[in-house]
Amino acid sequence: MSKKRFESNPTVRPNPPKPSPPQSSSRGGSGLPWHVAWRCLVSLFVALHLTAVFSAPWDLATQSALPPGYMAPQGQPDLPPANSSVWQRPAVTRALRSFFSHYLNLAYLNHGYEFFAPDPAGTHVINYRVTRSDGSTVEGQFPDLKEQWPRLLYHRHMMLAEQTEMMGRESGLHYADYLATLHSGTCRLEWAIHFLLSPQRVLDGTPLDAPSTYQVIASLNGNPRRGASNNASSGELPVVIPGGGR
Amino acid sequence: MISSLANTRDYVAECWQAWNRFWFRPTDPATLSLVRFLAGGMLLYTHLVWSLDLQAFVGPEGWLPVDYMRQIQGQQWSVWSVFFWIKPVWLLWCVHVFALIVFACLMLGLFSRPAAVLSYLLAVSYAHRVSPGAFFGLDKVNCMLALYLMLGPCGARYSLDRIRRFRRGDTSPAMPSTSANVAIRLMQLHLCIIYLFSGLAKLAGENWQAGTAVWWAVANFEYQSLDMTWLANWPVLVALLSHVTVFWELFYCCLVWNRFSRPLVLWLAVGVHGGIAIAMGMITFGLAMIFANLAFLSPATVRRWVDPFAGWGARKLTGAK
Repeated sequence: MSKKRFESNPTVRPNPPKPSPPQSSSRGGSGLPWHVAWRCLVSLFVALHLTAVFSAPWDLATQSALPPGYMAPQGQPDLPPANSSVWQRPAVTRALRSFFSHYLNLAYLNHGYEFFAPDPAGTHVINYRVTRSDGSTVEGQFPDLKEQWPRLLYHRHMMLAEQTEMMGRESGLHYADYLATLHSGTCRLEWAIHFLLSPQRVLDGTPLDAPSTYQVIASLNGNPRRGASNNASSGELPVVIPGGGR
Repeated sequence: MISSLANTRDYVAECWQAWNRFWFRPTDPATLSLVRFLAGGMLLYTHLVWSLDLQAFVGPEGWLPVDYMRQIQGQQWSVWSVFFWIKPVWLLWCVHVFALIVFACLMLGLFSRPAAVLSYLLAVSYAHRVSPGAFFGLDKVNCMLALYLMLGPCGARYSLDRIRRFRRGDTSPAMPSTSANVAIRLMQLHLCIIYLFSGLAKLAGENWQAGTAVWWAVANFEYQSLDMTWLANWPVLVALLSHVTVFWELFYCCLVWNRFSRPLVLWLAVGVHGGIAIAMGMITFGLAMIFANLAFLSPATVRRWVDPFAGWGARKLTGAK
Protein backbone atom coordinates (compact mmCIF):
# COMPACT_ATOMS: atom_id res chain seq x y z
CA MET A 1 0.00 0.00 0.00
CA SER A 2 1.34 3.35 -0.96
CA LYS A 3 2.44 5.75 1.71
CA LYS A 4 0.54 8.60 0.09
CA ARG A 5 -2.68 6.72 0.56
CA PHE A 6 -2.72 7.78 4.20
CA GLU A 7 -3.80 11.32 4.81
CA SER A 8 -1.96 11.11 8.07
CA ASN A 9 1.40 10.78 6.31
CA PRO A 10 3.84 12.48 8.71
CA THR A 11 6.04 13.71 5.88
CA VAL A 12 3.26 15.63 4.24
CA ARG A 13 1.63 18.49 6.08
CA PRO A 14 -2.09 17.75 5.98
CA ASN A 15 -4.33 20.32 4.45
CA PRO A 16 -7.55 20.60 6.41
CA PRO A 17 -10.44 20.11 3.99
CA LYS A 18 -12.37 23.20 3.16
CA PRO A 19 -16.12 23.50 3.56
CA SER A 20 -18.13 22.24 0.64
CA PRO A 21 -18.85 24.81 -2.07
CA PRO A 22 -22.30 26.36 -2.33
CA GLN A 23 -24.86 24.00 -3.72
CA SER A 24 -28.15 24.24 -5.47
CA SER A 25 -31.09 26.35 -4.43
CA SER A 26 -32.80 23.23 -3.11
CA ARG A 27 -30.54 23.69 -0.09
CA GLY A 28 -32.10 27.06 0.54
CA GLY A 29 -29.32 28.91 -1.27
CA SER A 30 -27.16 28.93 1.84
CA GLY A 31 -24.32 26.79 0.52
CA LEU A 32 -24.88 24.33 3.34
CA PRO A 33 -25.30 20.66 2.51
CA TRP A 34 -28.45 20.04 4.52
CA HIS A 35 -31.84 21.03 3.17
CA VAL A 36 -33.45 23.95 4.97
CA ALA A 37 -36.32 21.78 6.22
CA TRP A 38 -33.89 19.30 7.72
CA ARG A 39 -31.92 22.15 9.31
CA CYS A 40 -35.12 23.56 10.83
CA LEU A 41 -35.99 20.17 12.28
CA VAL A 42 -32.52 19.65 13.70
CA SER A 43 -32.54 23.22 15.05
CA LEU A 44 -35.76 22.50 16.88
CA PHE A 45 -34.36 19.34 18.41
CA VAL A 46 -31.10 21.06 19.36
CA ALA A 47 -32.98 23.90 21.06
CA LEU A 48 -35.21 21.51 22.98
CA HIS A 49 -32.27 19.30 23.96
CA LEU A 50 -30.18 22.19 25.23
CA THR A 51 -33.14 23.62 27.12
CA ALA A 52 -33.56 20.23 28.78
CA VAL A 53 -29.85 19.97 29.61
CA PHE A 54 -29.97 23.49 31.06
CA SER A 55 -33.17 22.94 33.01
CA ALA A 56 -31.84 20.12 35.21
CA PRO A 57 -28.97 21.93 36.94
CA TRP A 58 -30.96 25.18 36.93
CA ASP A 59 -33.79 23.59 38.86
CA LEU A 60 -31.45 21.80 41.24
CA ALA A 61 -29.68 25.10 41.92
CA THR A 62 -32.87 26.87 42.93
CA GLN A 63 -34.75 26.60 46.18
CA SER A 64 -38.11 27.73 47.47
CA ALA A 65 -37.87 31.04 49.29
CA LEU A 66 -39.78 32.84 52.01
CA PRO A 67 -41.14 36.34 51.31
CA PRO A 68 -38.68 39.12 52.23
CA GLY A 69 -38.93 39.99 55.91
CA TYR A 70 -41.03 36.94 56.70
CA MET A 71 -41.84 36.64 60.42
CA ALA A 72 -43.25 33.43 61.77
CA PRO A 73 -46.58 33.87 63.61
CA GLN A 74 -46.26 33.74 67.39
CA GLY A 75 -46.04 30.22 68.75
CA GLN A 76 -45.09 28.80 65.35
CA PRO A 77 -41.66 27.49 64.30
CA ASP A 78 -39.35 29.91 62.50
CA LEU A 79 -39.78 28.06 59.23
CA PRO A 80 -43.24 27.08 57.94
CA PRO A 81 -43.84 23.44 56.90
CA ALA A 82 -42.56 22.44 53.48
CA ASN A 83 -46.09 22.24 52.07
CA SER A 84 -47.08 25.67 53.33
CA SER A 85 -48.34 28.14 50.76
CA VAL A 86 -46.01 30.77 52.28
CA TRP A 87 -43.11 29.21 50.40
CA GLN A 88 -42.50 30.79 47.00
CA ARG A 89 -41.54 28.06 44.60
CA PRO A 90 -39.37 28.70 41.52
CA ALA A 91 -42.17 28.20 39.03
CA VAL A 92 -40.22 28.29 35.76
CA THR A 93 -37.37 25.99 36.76
CA ARG A 94 -39.68 23.44 38.38
CA ALA A 95 -42.02 23.45 35.37
CA LEU A 96 -39.18 23.11 32.85
CA ARG A 97 -37.50 20.23 34.65
CA SER A 98 -40.81 18.54 35.19
CA PHE A 99 -41.65 18.91 31.48
CA PHE A 100 -38.33 17.35 30.43
CA SER A 101 -38.03 14.89 33.32
CA HIS A 102 -38.51 11.69 31.33
CA TYR A 103 -36.22 12.84 28.54
CA LEU A 104 -33.58 13.77 31.11
CA ASN A 105 -33.94 10.39 32.79
CA LEU A 106 -33.85 8.40 29.58
CA ALA A 107 -30.70 10.12 28.42
CA TYR A 108 -29.02 10.26 31.86
CA LEU A 109 -28.90 14.03 31.85
CA ASN A 110 -30.73 14.73 35.11
CA HIS A 111 -27.76 16.20 36.95
CA GLY A 112 -26.87 19.26 38.99
CA TYR A 113 -23.11 19.31 38.25
CA GLU A 114 -22.41 20.58 41.76
CA PHE A 115 -18.80 19.39 41.93
CA PHE A 116 -17.31 20.16 45.37
CA ALA A 117 -20.21 22.52 45.96
CA PRO A 118 -21.55 24.37 47.77
CA ASP A 119 -18.49 23.62 49.95
CA PRO A 120 -16.04 20.71 50.13
CA ALA A 121 -17.12 18.60 53.10
CA GLY A 122 -15.87 15.71 55.19
CA THR A 123 -16.32 12.22 53.82
CA HIS A 124 -17.99 9.16 55.27
CA VAL A 125 -16.34 5.88 56.15
CA ILE A 126 -18.02 2.57 56.87
CA ASN A 127 -16.42 -0.01 59.19
CA TYR A 128 -17.87 -3.46 59.50
CA ARG A 129 -17.43 -6.69 61.38
CA VAL A 130 -19.06 -9.93 60.28
CA THR A 131 -19.29 -12.67 62.91
CA ARG A 132 -19.76 -16.21 61.64
CA SER A 133 -21.52 -19.01 63.49
CA ASP A 134 -18.14 -20.56 64.42
CA GLY A 135 -17.12 -17.34 66.13
CA SER A 136 -14.61 -16.22 63.48
CA THR A 137 -14.85 -12.65 62.31
CA VAL A 138 -14.20 -10.69 59.16
CA GLU A 139 -13.44 -7.01 59.58
CA GLY A 140 -13.11 -4.36 56.97
CA GLN A 141 -13.72 -0.81 55.92
CA PHE A 142 -14.69 1.08 52.85
CA PRO A 143 -13.21 3.01 51.31
CA ASP A 144 -9.86 1.35 52.00
CA LEU A 145 -6.85 2.03 49.80
CA LYS A 146 -5.17 -1.20 50.87
CA GLU A 147 -8.07 -3.40 49.80
CA GLN A 148 -9.65 -1.56 46.90
CA TRP A 149 -7.44 -1.14 43.88
CA PRO A 150 -7.21 0.41 41.31
CA ARG A 151 -8.07 3.88 42.39
CA LEU A 152 -11.36 3.90 40.49
CA LEU A 153 -12.58 0.85 42.43
CA TYR A 154 -11.58 2.60 45.65
CA HIS A 155 -13.50 5.65 44.51
CA ARG A 156 -16.60 3.55 43.81
CA HIS A 157 -16.46 2.25 47.39
CA MET A 158 -15.96 5.79 48.64
CA MET A 159 -19.12 6.83 46.81
CA LEU A 160 -21.02 3.94 48.42
CA ALA A 161 -20.12 5.30 51.85
CA GLU A 162 -20.66 8.90 50.77
CA GLN A 163 -24.04 8.55 49.11
CA THR A 164 -25.51 6.80 52.13
CA GLU A 165 -26.00 10.34 53.33
CA MET A 166 -28.24 11.00 50.34
CA MET A 167 -30.09 7.69 50.42
CA GLY A 168 -30.59 7.41 54.17
CA ARG A 169 -30.47 4.66 56.75
CA GLU A 170 -31.98 1.93 54.61
CA SER A 171 -29.02 1.93 52.24
CA GLY A 172 -26.75 1.21 55.21
CA LEU A 173 -28.97 -1.72 56.12
CA HIS A 174 -28.57 -3.10 52.62
CA TYR A 175 -24.79 -2.83 52.89
CA ALA A 176 -24.91 -4.70 56.20
CA ASP A 177 -27.14 -7.42 54.73
CA TYR A 178 -24.90 -7.74 51.68
CA LEU A 179 -21.78 -8.15 53.83
CA ALA A 180 -23.57 -10.64 56.07
CA THR A 181 -24.57 -12.64 52.99
CA LEU A 182 -21.11 -12.42 51.46
CA HIS A 183 -19.32 -13.67 54.57
CA SER A 184 -22.12 -15.94 55.88
CA GLY A 185 -22.54 -14.36 59.27
CA THR A 186 -24.15 -11.45 61.05
CA CYS A 187 -22.85 -8.00 60.32
CA ARG A 188 -22.31 -5.03 62.58
CA LEU A 189 -21.71 -1.91 60.57
CA GLU A 190 -20.55 1.48 61.82
CA TRP A 191 -21.06 4.55 59.76
CA ALA A 192 -18.65 7.37 60.58
CA ILE A 193 -18.03 10.86 59.34
CA HIS A 194 -14.46 12.01 58.88
CA PHE A 195 -14.11 15.67 59.75
CA LEU A 196 -11.63 17.91 58.00
CA LEU A 197 -8.79 19.66 59.79
CA SER A 198 -8.13 23.39 59.59
CA PRO A 199 -4.74 24.57 58.31
CA GLN A 200 -3.80 25.56 61.85
CA ARG A 201 -4.45 22.08 63.25
CA VAL A 202 -2.36 20.55 60.46
CA LEU A 203 0.44 23.01 61.20
CA ASP A 204 0.14 22.02 64.87
CA GLY A 205 0.97 18.47 63.83
CA THR A 206 -2.42 16.71 63.82
CA PRO A 207 -2.47 14.10 61.05
CA LEU A 208 -5.43 14.19 58.65
CA ASP A 209 -6.47 10.70 59.76
CA ALA A 210 -6.17 11.25 63.50
CA PRO A 211 -8.70 9.06 65.38
CA SER A 212 -10.25 12.19 66.88
CA THR A 213 -11.34 13.30 63.40
CA TYR A 214 -13.73 10.33 63.00
CA GLN A 215 -17.14 10.32 64.63
CA VAL A 216 -19.50 7.37 64.49
CA ILE A 217 -22.95 8.60 63.53
CA ALA A 218 -24.84 5.32 63.22
CA SER A 219 -24.52 1.60 63.89
CA LEU A 220 -26.51 -0.96 61.95
CA ASN A 221 -26.97 -4.74 62.03
CA GLY A 222 -27.31 -6.98 59.01
CA ASN A 223 -28.29 -10.62 58.41
CA PRO A 224 -27.80 -12.80 55.36
CA ARG A 225 -30.40 -12.31 52.67
CA ARG A 226 -32.69 -15.23 51.96
CA GLY A 227 -32.77 -15.94 48.24
CA ALA A 228 -33.71 -12.91 46.25
CA SER A 229 -35.74 -11.36 49.05
CA ASN A 230 -34.17 -8.93 51.40
CA ASN A 231 -34.96 -8.79 55.08
CA ALA A 232 -34.11 -5.37 56.38
CA SER A 233 -32.59 -5.65 59.83
CA SER A 234 -32.97 -3.35 62.73
CA GLY A 235 -30.23 -1.28 64.28
CA GLU A 236 -29.71 1.81 66.31
CA LEU A 237 -31.27 4.90 64.85
CA PRO A 238 -28.78 7.10 63.07
CA VAL A 239 -28.23 10.64 64.18
CA VAL A 240 -28.94 13.43 61.74
CA ILE A 241 -25.91 14.06 59.59
CA PRO A 242 -24.60 17.61 59.74
CA GLY A 243 -24.74 19.26 56.37
CA GLY A 244 -27.07 16.67 54.93
CA GLY A 245 -29.16 17.98 52.10
CA ARG A 246 -29.68 17.81 48.41
CA MET B 1 -42.03 52.21 9.86
CA ILE B 2 -41.01 50.42 6.65
CA SER B 3 -37.35 51.02 7.47
CA SER B 4 -37.85 49.58 10.95
CA LEU B 5 -39.49 46.48 9.51
CA ALA B 6 -36.68 46.08 7.00
CA ASN B 7 -34.07 46.38 9.75
CA THR B 8 -35.86 43.75 11.81
CA ARG B 9 -36.07 41.45 8.80
CA ASP B 10 -32.34 41.93 8.10
CA TYR B 11 -31.54 41.25 11.73
CA VAL B 12 -33.55 38.03 11.75
CA ALA B 13 -31.97 36.96 8.48
CA GLU B 14 -28.48 37.58 9.85
CA CYS B 15 -29.31 35.66 13.00
CA TRP B 16 -30.52 32.73 10.91
CA GLN B 17 -27.33 32.84 8.84
CA ALA B 18 -25.18 32.92 11.96
CA TRP B 19 -27.17 30.04 13.45
CA ASN B 20 -26.64 28.05 10.26
CA ARG B 21 -22.92 28.79 10.21
CA PHE B 22 -22.60 27.78 13.84
CA TRP B 23 -24.49 24.52 13.60
CA PHE B 24 -24.51 23.35 10.01
CA ARG B 25 -21.20 24.32 8.46
CA PRO B 26 -19.46 21.03 7.64
CA THR B 27 -16.31 20.40 9.63
CA ASP B 28 -13.45 17.98 9.42
CA PRO B 29 -14.32 15.03 11.72
CA ALA B 30 -10.79 15.00 13.18
CA THR B 31 -11.83 16.51 16.53
CA LEU B 32 -14.81 14.19 16.89
CA SER B 33 -12.62 11.22 16.00
CA LEU B 34 -10.02 12.16 18.59
CA VAL B 35 -12.70 12.52 21.26
CA ARG B 36 -14.05 9.10 20.20
CA PHE B 37 -10.67 7.45 20.69
CA LEU B 38 -10.10 9.01 24.11
CA ALA B 39 -13.67 8.73 25.41
CA GLY B 40 -13.87 5.16 24.12
CA GLY B 41 -10.71 4.33 26.03
CA MET B 42 -12.14 5.90 29.17
CA LEU B 43 -15.41 4.01 28.78
CA LEU B 44 -13.49 0.77 28.34
CA TYR B 45 -11.35 1.38 31.43
CA THR B 46 -14.29 2.57 33.55
CA HIS B 47 -16.25 -0.57 32.81
CA LEU B 48 -13.26 -2.89 32.97
CA VAL B 49 -12.90 -1.85 36.59
CA TRP B 50 -16.49 -2.97 37.29
CA SER B 51 -15.25 -6.49 36.41
CA LEU B 52 -13.29 -6.58 39.67
CA ASP B 53 -16.53 -6.63 41.68
CA LEU B 54 -19.26 -6.86 39.08
CA GLN B 55 -21.89 -8.74 41.06
CA ALA B 56 -21.51 -6.48 44.09
CA PHE B 57 -22.10 -3.28 42.16
CA VAL B 58 -24.23 -4.28 39.19
CA GLY B 59 -25.73 -7.65 40.15
CA PRO B 60 -29.36 -7.90 41.27
CA GLU B 61 -28.48 -8.65 44.91
CA GLY B 62 -25.34 -6.57 45.32
CA TRP B 63 -24.60 -3.69 47.68
CA LEU B 64 -27.87 -2.10 46.70
CA PRO B 65 -30.46 -4.60 45.39
CA VAL B 66 -32.32 -3.73 42.23
CA ASP B 67 -35.68 -3.60 44.03
CA TYR B 68 -34.36 -1.02 46.46
CA MET B 69 -32.74 1.00 43.66
CA ARG B 70 -36.02 1.10 41.75
CA GLN B 71 -37.75 2.30 44.89
CA ILE B 72 -35.35 5.18 45.58
CA GLN B 73 -35.32 6.11 41.90
CA GLY B 74 -39.05 6.66 42.19
CA GLN B 75 -40.11 3.65 40.07
CA GLN B 76 -40.02 5.90 37.01
CA TRP B 77 -40.24 4.07 33.71
CA SER B 78 -37.75 6.48 32.17
CA VAL B 79 -35.00 5.48 34.61
CA TRP B 80 -33.93 2.38 32.77
CA SER B 81 -31.14 -0.15 32.76
CA VAL B 82 -30.73 -3.59 31.24
CA PHE B 83 -29.39 -4.63 34.64
CA PHE B 84 -32.82 -4.11 36.21
CA TRP B 85 -33.97 -7.25 34.39
CA ILE B 86 -30.89 -9.44 34.46
CA LYS B 87 -31.00 -12.08 37.20
CA PRO B 88 -28.64 -15.01 36.33
CA VAL B 89 -24.96 -14.40 36.99
CA TRP B 90 -23.93 -15.94 33.66
CA LEU B 91 -26.15 -13.50 31.79
CA LEU B 92 -24.76 -10.58 33.77
CA TRP B 93 -21.25 -11.57 32.74
CA CYS B 94 -22.29 -12.11 29.12
CA VAL B 95 -23.72 -8.61 28.93
CA HIS B 96 -20.65 -7.22 30.67
CA VAL B 97 -18.21 -8.90 28.29
CA PHE B 98 -20.33 -7.72 25.36
CA ALA B 99 -20.19 -4.19 26.75
CA LEU B 100 -16.40 -4.32 27.07
CA ILE B 101 -16.13 -5.47 23.45
CA VAL B 102 -18.40 -2.61 22.36
CA PHE B 103 -16.34 -0.04 24.27
CA ALA B 104 -13.14 -1.48 22.77
CA CYS B 105 -14.70 -1.19 19.30
CA LEU B 106 -15.58 2.43 20.00
CA MET B 107 -12.06 3.24 21.11
CA LEU B 108 -10.46 1.53 18.13
CA GLY B 109 -13.05 2.83 15.70
CA LEU B 110 -14.29 -0.54 14.54
CA PHE B 111 -17.91 -0.38 13.34
CA SER B 112 -17.74 3.06 14.90
CA ARG B 113 -21.28 4.32 14.47
CA PRO B 114 -23.11 1.21 15.77
CA ALA B 115 -20.47 0.92 18.49
CA ALA B 116 -21.14 4.52 19.52
CA VAL B 117 -24.90 3.94 19.77
CA LEU B 118 -24.44 0.72 21.75
CA SER B 119 -21.77 2.33 23.95
CA TYR B 120 -24.15 5.09 24.91
CA LEU B 121 -26.99 2.69 25.72
CA LEU B 122 -24.70 0.44 27.74
CA ALA B 123 -23.01 3.32 29.57
CA VAL B 124 -26.41 4.68 30.61
CA SER B 125 -27.44 1.19 31.72
CA TYR B 126 -24.48 0.92 34.07
CA ALA B 127 -24.89 4.50 35.26
CA HIS B 128 -28.58 4.09 36.13
CA ARG B 129 -27.83 0.83 37.96
CA VAL B 130 -25.41 2.62 40.30
CA SER B 131 -27.19 6.00 40.63
CA PRO B 132 -27.43 6.72 43.47
CA GLY B 133 -24.90 4.53 45.13
CA ALA B 134 -21.53 4.36 43.46
CA PHE B 135 -21.85 6.91 40.67
CA PHE B 136 -19.96 10.17 40.41
CA GLY B 137 -18.97 12.82 37.89
CA LEU B 138 -17.09 10.35 35.71
CA ASP B 139 -20.33 8.56 34.79
CA LYS B 140 -21.99 11.82 33.82
CA VAL B 141 -19.11 12.84 31.55
CA ASN B 142 -18.78 9.35 30.03
CA CYS B 143 -22.47 9.28 29.13
CA MET B 144 -22.42 12.84 27.83
CA LEU B 145 -19.52 12.12 25.47
CA ALA B 146 -21.04 8.83 24.31
CA LEU B 147 -24.34 10.59 23.61
CA TYR B 148 -22.79 13.09 21.22
CA LEU B 149 -20.33 10.68 19.64
CA MET B 150 -23.19 8.66 18.18
CA LEU B 151 -24.55 11.73 16.39
CA GLY B 152 -21.58 12.19 14.06
CA PRO B 153 -19.09 10.22 11.95
CA CYS B 154 -16.84 9.55 14.92
CA GLY B 155 -14.91 6.82 13.10
CA ALA B 156 -14.02 8.91 10.06
CA ARG B 157 -10.44 9.30 11.28
CA TYR B 158 -8.04 7.55 13.63
CA SER B 159 -10.01 4.34 13.36
CA LEU B 160 -9.86 0.76 12.16
CA ASP B 161 -12.85 1.60 9.99
CA ARG B 162 -10.67 4.01 8.06
CA ILE B 163 -7.96 1.40 7.62
CA ARG B 164 -10.56 -1.10 6.43
CA ARG B 165 -11.71 1.44 3.86
CA PHE B 166 -8.12 1.87 2.68
CA ARG B 167 -7.72 -1.87 2.35
CA ARG B 168 -10.84 -2.04 0.24
CA GLY B 169 -9.28 0.53 -2.05
CA ASP B 170 -11.31 3.49 -0.89
CA THR B 171 -8.65 6.18 -0.61
CA SER B 172 -11.00 9.15 -0.60
CA PRO B 173 -10.25 11.59 2.20
CA ALA B 174 -12.55 11.95 5.18
CA MET B 175 -15.08 14.52 4.03
CA PRO B 176 -16.15 17.52 6.10
CA SER B 177 -19.35 16.61 7.85
CA THR B 178 -22.33 18.60 9.09
CA SER B 179 -23.28 15.99 11.66
CA ALA B 180 -19.72 16.07 13.04
CA ASN B 181 -20.18 19.79 13.57
CA VAL B 182 -23.55 19.31 15.28
CA ALA B 183 -22.04 16.68 17.60
CA ILE B 184 -19.05 18.85 18.50
CA ARG B 185 -21.23 21.95 19.04
CA LEU B 186 -23.51 20.02 21.39
CA MET B 187 -20.49 18.75 23.31
CA GLN B 188 -19.14 22.29 23.61
CA LEU B 189 -22.43 23.80 24.77
CA HIS B 190 -23.09 20.98 27.22
CA LEU B 191 -19.66 21.58 28.72
CA CYS B 192 -20.46 25.29 29.06
CA ILE B 193 -23.66 24.41 30.96
CA ILE B 194 -21.73 22.05 33.25
CA TYR B 195 -19.16 24.68 34.17
CA LEU B 196 -21.72 27.46 34.54
CA PHE B 197 -23.77 25.56 37.09
CA SER B 198 -20.73 24.15 38.82
CA GLY B 199 -19.54 27.73 39.28
CA LEU B 200 -22.96 28.98 40.39
CA ALA B 201 -23.20 26.17 42.95
CA LYS B 202 -19.80 27.14 44.34
CA LEU B 203 -20.95 30.75 44.67
CA ALA B 204 -23.42 29.53 47.30
CA GLY B 205 -20.59 28.07 49.36
CA GLU B 206 -19.15 30.20 52.14
CA ASN B 207 -15.72 28.61 51.79
CA TRP B 208 -15.58 29.24 48.07
CA GLN B 209 -16.58 32.86 48.77
CA ALA B 210 -13.92 33.16 51.47
CA GLY B 211 -11.28 31.56 49.26
CA THR B 212 -10.56 28.65 51.59
CA ALA B 213 -12.37 25.87 49.71
CA VAL B 214 -9.28 24.47 47.99
CA TRP B 215 -7.77 23.81 51.41
CA TRP B 216 -10.81 21.78 52.51
CA ALA B 217 -10.63 19.84 49.25
CA VAL B 218 -6.94 18.91 49.56
CA ALA B 219 -7.23 18.27 53.31
CA ASN B 220 -9.71 15.47 52.67
CA PHE B 221 -7.82 12.33 53.61
CA GLU B 222 -10.08 9.94 51.69
CA TYR B 223 -9.63 11.87 48.45
CA GLN B 224 -5.96 12.64 48.90
CA SER B 225 -3.52 11.02 46.48
CA LEU B 226 -0.78 13.63 46.83
CA ASP B 227 0.02 15.33 50.11
CA MET B 228 -0.84 18.97 49.56
CA THR B 229 -1.02 19.94 53.24
CA TRP B 230 2.01 22.19 52.71
CA LEU B 231 -0.64 24.61 51.42
CA ALA B 232 -1.45 25.27 55.10
CA ASN B 233 1.53 27.62 55.01
CA TRP B 234 0.27 29.40 51.91
CA PRO B 235 -3.21 30.80 52.63
CA VAL B 236 -2.91 33.41 49.89
CA LEU B 237 -2.15 30.71 47.32
CA VAL B 238 -5.15 28.69 48.56
CA ALA B 239 -7.34 31.78 48.20
CA LEU B 240 -6.06 32.50 44.70
CA LEU B 241 -6.65 28.92 43.58
CA SER B 242 -10.16 28.96 45.05
CA HIS B 243 -11.12 32.28 43.47
CA VAL B 244 -9.60 31.42 40.09
CA THR B 245 -11.51 28.13 40.06
CA VAL B 246 -14.84 29.86 40.69
CA PHE B 247 -14.28 32.64 38.16
CA TRP B 248 -12.93 30.23 35.56
CA GLU B 249 -16.01 28.02 35.88
CA LEU B 250 -18.42 30.93 35.85
CA PHE B 251 -16.97 32.62 32.79
CA TYR B 252 -15.90 29.52 30.85
CA CYS B 253 -19.13 29.70 28.83
CA CYS B 254 -18.21 33.19 27.57
CA LEU B 255 -14.42 33.14 27.30
CA VAL B 256 -14.02 29.80 25.57
CA TRP B 257 -15.62 31.11 22.37
CA ASN B 258 -13.12 33.90 21.87
CA ARG B 259 -10.03 32.77 20.00
CA PHE B 260 -7.75 34.90 22.15
CA SER B 261 -9.07 33.76 25.53
CA ARG B 262 -9.74 30.15 24.48
CA PRO B 263 -6.15 28.88 24.98
CA LEU B 264 -6.07 30.38 28.48
CA VAL B 265 -9.43 28.86 29.37
CA LEU B 266 -8.46 25.43 28.04
CA TRP B 267 -5.06 25.43 29.75
CA LEU B 268 -6.82 26.36 32.97
CA ALA B 269 -9.08 23.35 32.41
CA VAL B 270 -5.98 21.18 32.09
CA GLY B 271 -4.62 22.73 35.29
CA VAL B 272 -7.80 22.36 37.33
CA HIS B 273 -8.68 18.85 36.17
CA GLY B 274 -5.05 17.76 36.15
CA GLY B 275 -4.80 18.97 39.75
CA ILE B 276 -7.91 17.01 40.70
CA ALA B 277 -6.47 13.95 38.96
CA ILE B 278 -3.07 14.11 40.59
CA ALA B 279 -3.80 15.50 44.05
CA MET B 280 -7.30 14.19 44.71
CA GLY B 281 -7.05 10.74 43.23
CA MET B 282 -9.73 11.22 40.61
CA ILE B 283 -7.53 10.47 37.64
CA THR B 284 -10.37 9.09 35.55
CA PHE B 285 -12.72 12.01 36.18
CA GLY B 286 -9.95 14.56 35.62
CA LEU B 287 -8.96 12.95 32.34
CA ALA B 288 -12.57 12.60 31.16
CA MET B 289 -13.13 16.32 31.68
CA ILE B 290 -9.91 17.14 29.81
CA PHE B 291 -11.06 14.89 26.96
CA ALA B 292 -14.37 16.75 26.86
CA ASN B 293 -12.50 20.07 26.67
CA LEU B 294 -10.70 18.83 23.56
CA ALA B 295 -13.98 19.44 21.74
CA PHE B 296 -12.85 23.06 21.53
CA LEU B 297 -9.71 22.21 19.54
CA SER B 298 -9.95 23.02 15.87
CA PRO B 299 -9.70 20.06 13.46
CA ALA B 300 -6.54 21.62 11.99
CA THR B 301 -4.87 21.62 15.41
CA VAL B 302 -5.97 18.06 16.07
CA ARG B 303 -4.61 16.89 12.73
CA ARG B 304 -1.32 18.69 13.23
CA TRP B 305 -0.74 16.82 16.51
CA VAL B 306 -2.47 13.49 15.95
CA ASP B 307 -1.97 12.69 12.26
CA PRO B 308 1.73 11.78 12.62
CA PHE B 309 0.90 9.23 15.32
CA ALA B 310 -2.18 7.96 13.49
CA GLY B 311 -0.17 7.61 10.26
CA TRP B 312 2.53 5.68 12.08
CA GLY B 313 -0.07 3.39 13.66
CA ALA B 314 -1.83 2.84 10.35
CA ARG B 315 1.40 1.95 8.59
CA LYS B 316 2.25 -0.53 11.34
CA LEU B 317 -1.16 -2.14 11.05
CA THR B 318 -1.21 -2.34 7.28
CA GLY B 319 2.46 -3.06 6.74
CA ALA B 320 2.74 -0.12 4.36
CA LYS B 321 6.05 1.75 4.19
